Amino acid sequence: MNVIYQFVAGPLAWAAFILFLSGIFLRMIQLFVKVNQPEKFLLHYFSLRYGLRSIIRWLTPFATTNWRKHPVFTVVTFIFHGCLLITPVFLSGHVVLIDEAWSLSWWTLPDGLADLMTLIVIGSCVFFGIRRIVRPEVRFVTDASDFILLVIVAAPFITGFLAYNQWFGATWMTIAHMLSGQILLAAIPFTRLNHIILFFFSRAYMGSEFGKVRHARDW
Amino acid sequence: MKKSIILIVMLLSVAALLAGAALCQDDLEYLDNEAFEDPRRPAVPFSHDTHNQTAELDDCAQCHHVYDEDGQKIEDESSEDQACADCHGLDDDEQKPGLMKAYHLNCKTCHISSRKGPVACGQCHPK
Repeated sequence: MNVIYQFVAGPLAWAAFILFLSGIFLRMIQLFVKVNQPEKFLLHYFSLRYGLRSIIRWLTPFATTNWRKHPVFTVVTFIFHGCLLITPVFLSGHVVLIDEAWSLSWWTLPDGLADLMTLIVIGSCVFFGIRRIVRPEVRFVTDASDFILLVIVAAPFITGFLAYNQWFGATWMTIAHMLSGQILLAAIPFTRLNHIILFFFSRAYMGSEFGKVRHARDW
Repeated sequence: MKKSIILIVMLLSVAALLAGAALCQDDLEYLDNEAFEDPRRPAVPFSHDTHNQTAELDDCAQCHHVYDEDGQKIEDESSEDQACADCHGLDDDEQKPGLMKAYHLNCKTCHISSRKGPVACGQCHPK
């Protein structure tokens, strides 16, 4: 067991982080190469002011028409992304391990709150899954990969919740938790989860086109 | 008749299991966590003699170590007459890890290098 734990916590963890970071780096290079070659005019449209305006507006709940048109989806989306990003970074168990490895530590969430935020992430994934089945306009653009991505995102939170609460054997659940987190990290650059980075570029481009080219407001 | 015999046997088995569990509880010792003001994880079950027999540990200083002012471990000295918390404060200082980190590093480093013993959170802190 210890050998498996050490392999997953050691070399596999490094491999996942290297894939995650180098994958994102490659994605960005690929983006610039693609934009720069056949569609160089896109760069000409780019505007920092309108790009930032659009990013900020779309990161503000209910600021855009589309957010206002779907209030439930908007609330779930913002709470989901908040919990998804905040919980792992400020989880006491994670900070303890980082402190042991590199003597770096920071403020941590109370465990009960972290548990609740984890359940919110899992519940939101269920919500997004049901939405993909129930809403015809969403079902139309849905295929199996959308559900696989939801499972990849939810898995580290499900296994983390079970490992912390020790419901089905803490040891193996901890290993499953690390593995599922590594799959998520490694999947980010190579799937639509790359919106973690590419959101900013596509939003900035659309904002630029609306503001600088069409002189229209950013919807 | 047959049913009642089965029922009695089942009840006796449950009673035996519970009695066994209760006896085991008596033997269970915990690492002293009183130094932690508000512990966020349950105390660690630890039976000193059983651990050392199983791990074949003879050198007390393996855990009850003494370090000099330069941060070097003094080989022939041990500190089993002191509590861990006598030297390790709650937070790290320049030379020593804080109490929790000292426990974690001391236990896990050994368990990892010997490839035996608990290493995951819930293995030492059962709920």
